[in-house]
Parts: sequence; C-alpha cells; structure tokens
Amino acid sequence: MAIKEKNKEKDKISILLGDLASLESYAKDLFSFLPLPVCLVSSIGIILEVNPALEKISGYRIEEIIGKSAEDIFTEEEIEAISKETIERGSVLAKETSIFTKEKRKVPVSASTILRKSEEGEIIGYFIGLFDLTDVKKKEKELKDTQLALLNMLEDTKMARQVAEEERDKTKAIVTGLADGLIVLDKENKIILINPEGERFLDVEAKEIEGKILETLVEKPSLKKLAELLSTKETKRGIFRKELSFKKPTERILEITTVSLPPREENVVILHDISREKLIERMKTEFVSLAAHQLRTPLSAIKWTLRMLLDGDLGKITAEQRDFVEKTYSSNERMISLINALLDVTRIEEGRYVYRPTFNQIENIVQFVINSFKEVIKRKKIKFGFKKPKEKLPKVKVDVEKIRLAIDNLIDNAIKYTPIGGEVTVSLICGKKEIEISVKDNGVGIPKDQQQRVFTKFFRGANVMRMETEGTGLGLFTTKNIIEAHGGRIWFKSKEGEGTIFHFTLPIKEEFAEFLKKF
Amino acid sequence: MAKKILIVEDEEIMIDLLQRKLTTEGYETSVARNGEEGLKAMREVRPDLILLDIIMPEMGGFGVMEEMNKNKELKKIPVIVISNSGQPVELDRAQKLGAKDWLIKTEFDPQEVIDKVVQQIGK
Repeated sequence: MAIKEKNKEKDKISILLGDLASLESYAKDLFSFLPLPVCLVSSIGIILEVNPALEKISGYRIEEIIGKSAEDIFTEEEIEAISKETIERGSVLAKETSIFTKEKRKVPVSASTILRKSEEGEIIGYFIGLFDLTDVKKKEKELKDTQLALLNMLEDTKMARQVAEEERDKTKAIVTGLADGLIVLDKENKIILINPEGERFLDVEAKEIEGKILETLVEKPSLKKLAELLSTKETKRGIFRKELSFKKPTERILEITTVSLPPREENVVILHDISREKLIERMKTEFVSLAAHQLRTPLSAIKWTLRMLLDGDLGKITAEQRDFVEKTYSSNERMISLINALLDVTRIEEGRYVYRPTFNQIENIVQFVINSFKEVIKRKKIKFGFKKPKEKLPKVKVDVEKIRLAIDNLIDNAIKYTPIGGEVTVSLICGKKEIEISVKDNGVGIPKDQQQRVFTKFFRGANVMRMETEGTGLGLFTTKNIIEAHGGRIWFKSKEGEGTIFHFTLPIKEEFAEFLKKF
Repeated sequence: MAKKILIVEDEEIMIDLLQRKLTTEGYETSVARNGEEGLKAMREVRPDLILLDIIMPEMGGFGVMEEMNKNKELKKIPVIVISNSGQPVELDRAQKLGAKDWLIKTEFDPQEVIDKVVQQIGK
C-alpha cells in the first residue's frame, strides 16, 4: 500500500513537472514571440533576460547584453528614476526615455515596467517593456514642422497684408496729393475715384459723383465735355495728351491722357493743367511775331535806301561805294529772309499758316520751283534730274505758296550741301491715295547722331555749319509743318559723306478735306 | 500836267524815298502822316492815286479805305497798299475794300512801286 501510495505521489509529481515544463516553454515562446522589446532587470540594475525584439532594437546579441548594467543602454538618470518608481509603486506606465544601441545610436522609446517578486515576497527585479518611438517622433517632428510652416505662412500673410496696407496708404497719399487731376473709371464708365485736383479742375465733388456713370452726369458742363471726349472711338485705344479747354470754374486748358488697367478694364484719366504753358507759349509766339514785325519796318527802310543809292536815284556813287552798298544790301536781304522765316514759324505755332488750299497739279508746282534754281544749278555744274510719270497726275489740294516754299527748302538744301558737279534728283511717284515727292542728293549728308533733330527749330548740321555760314535752321521745321498741315508725311534717309534723300507725301483730293478745315 | 500822288505813310524815311523816286519820275506828290490826315488831304488835293500804308497812328490803312468807300468821289481814286506785312488775311481784306494792288515793303523795291503806279495811272 505504502509503495502504491508512493508511486501515486511519484506520478502526480511527474505530471506536475510535465505541466511546469510546458508552462515554462509557453512563457518562453510568448517571451520570444512578443514584438515589443522586453527585458528583465535585476534589483541591482543588471540585465537578466531580453527577448529577440530587444535584441533587434538594441543591436546587441543576447549573450552580449545579458549581464550588462541597465545604465549601459539606458540614460543613467532616467533608468534610475524608472527603477526607483517601479520599486516604490510596483509599476511605471509609458514613460518616455531612450536607449543607446550598440552603434551608439539613440532610439526614443516609451518604457513601461512591472515589479517582479519571489514567492517569499522578495524583490527580484522588474520587467521593462519598450515601445519604439522613432516613427512617432518622426511623425511628431513632421507635424511640428508643418505647424511651424503654417505659422510662418500666417506670419507672411500678415506681413503681406501690412505691406499691402502701407502700399494702399501710400497710393492714396500720392493720388490725393497729386498736382494732376485723376479719375478712375470702371468698365462701365462708373466713377470709382476722383482726387481733389480732379474735383477742383472739373468743379465737382467726389461724394456727389463717385459711383455714378460718367455719361449720366451731363448736367455738369465740365463732365459732359469729358464724357464726350472719352466716348470717342479712339478712347478705347487710350488718349494721349489731348487738349480740352474749360470755361468754368476758371478758364483752364487740360491735357487729357488715359491709361487702361488691364485686369479689371478700369480706365485712369489723368488731367494735366497746361493753362500756364499755353499762356507762355502764346506770349512767346506773340512776342516773336511782334518783334519780327517791328524789325521789318527799319529793314525795309534800309532796303529801299540802299536800292535807291544803287539805282543812282540819290546821285552818282563810285565803284568802291557801290561795292560796299551792294554787300550791305545783300546782308540786309539775309536779315529780311531770317525775319520772314521767324514769322512763318510763329504763324505755324499759332496754327494759322496754311491758307485756303486749291486744287493744283503738283508737277507744275515742282517745275516752277526747279526753274528758280536754273542759274545756281548751272553755276555749280549740278547734274539735275526731274523724274515724273508720263501721264498727268491727279490734282492735290494745296496752298500753292506754302508747298512751293516746302519744295524750295528741300531743293535748296540739296543743292547747297552738294559739292560742285554733284547730283540732285527730284522724283514724283503717284500712289493710290497719295503722291510721293522725293529730293535726292549725293552731298555731305546729315551726321547720324544729329538725325533725330533735323526737323526741330534752329537745327543745323554740325558738318554744314562749317561749310556754309548762311542758313536759318528754320527751313526743315517749316517744311515739315507745311507738309503735315496738308495731311502729308515727311521723312528722310541720310549718310554722312554719301548724301541725303527726303521724301514727302501729299494726299490726293478729298482725302484730307476734313483735316484742312482746322487751318 | 503832272499826275498827283498822295502818300499816306508814317515813316519819315519811307516818305522821303517815295517822294524822291516819284518826283524823279515826274509825278507831283503830297504827303499825309496818318489816316485822318490822309482823308483830309485827299479831299483837298484830289489825287490821281494813293499809296497807302496799313499800320499807322490815328487811323490805319483799312480805316482809310472804309471811309473812302462811303464817299462816291473818293471811292474812285485807285489805292495801292504799301505794307510791312504780307499776311494773306490782310491781303484779302485790302482787296475786298477795293485796293488795286499790294506791295510788301521788304519784298519790293522803289522801282517796282513806280512800275505798279505806272500800271495803274500811266506816266
């Protein structure tokens, strides 16, 4: 019986041992399978056991890490704090710390612990489970960066707004303080803005007209005038320096320029007061005109006296005296022609130069002018050519005297500035709408750097001034004005030392009847 | 009998020169130094021709012609305008007022004045 009992006991123990072994293997399997790094640290801080997940994260092999002090892989103070807390409270939950791998890389982890005691209640150590925070930290950093970027953007926007506001205030100050009048119209011609000078020029008040369509404000004469100008076809393309005169509130001449602002098709209308310039211009012209007229009186007296001396009306004179008087006479003639040219210029500037045009054959006018040069052509041995179409040209409406003067100036220049034996050719070409006249020479030419100024008042080429002392510098200015007053165009090509060709056109018949009404 | 010419002109030297030239050519001359005087003189002298300046003190040449046009007798006397200016506008006005001819002082010389006088009234 006793033996039987003993065997029974033996069996029981062996079953229990078997159970224990399988439990142990279960615990071991679980421990090694667990994806979370776990290690067992002894109460004095020695690593007793680690699972494969911890091997992986730390880079140490099991045999290398077991027996190491926990401080070797954790930050010293942190692991101390963790172990202290674990011993005091039994566990720590998700405490952030970091471990150092074998390659001395710092890995952020979240550590949780649980105290382990023996059956007798004696502290053996504690389990420490880790959660790799690398990804979390990375995400966190990304999030932080994004947040920072957003904050930066917000700051930028704020700055941009500030700049925009400053800009707006600046623009406003400029617009308000501008010496020119300024009106901004939207696509429908609604007045969006008018500055104080604009109000003053047009005798209106901003609060009464802003937000209203310009064309509906016709009861104000000044606005009506402006609306009429802005409603013309050209306005669509923009107006540049168009003059408009106003009677009220004071007599004023404004120069109107429009600038369109593409994005919203708004139109900025700039009103520039040129009353003073106009007045000065008129005074200047009047002064020159008056001075020239006054000068003519004594000049004619001199001319007539000298002429009578030369004609012997005032008694006989010696050959020597005659020579002097003749020279004086021709100097006086030069003075007269200069005064006449000046008077022509003032008339051009006063806009009353071209007078009563009539229908004429241009070839006859050109021929007439050429005839007057016969003598000098002969004297300078100029090879002179006049090319014109065989058939009769259509008539042009011209002020004969002025056109003669224009052609005279061109041919005179060509001959004057072409050396002896040179060539001068006048050509007539008939186009559909206009007749083109050109005068070509192979003379001294116009220096390239001076070509832009050819048609300005008192211009004389530097090369020409050296060779000819005569010449008023008014000829081409006058010529250009004559041609343009007839609705024609004038241009030239020139090369210093090779020659010059001047071209001008005259419109045929009624093409410019409207144009001429202005003169 | 010599033909009578009235010179209406305010500038001494011009008067002097014209007088000399016309006298040499055998005309009888008289002088008025402004428009008012001119009108008075033409009533007294009854000239065969008048040489008339435009810009003068008191009454200018255009004023003189306007006055002449109001009088049947004076209207008949031929007028040659002698002026400093050759403005087409003025030329037109002189023509409308009945001037027979026009001379611009700076463009013509004394001999041409004689030619124009001869053209109008002969020697």
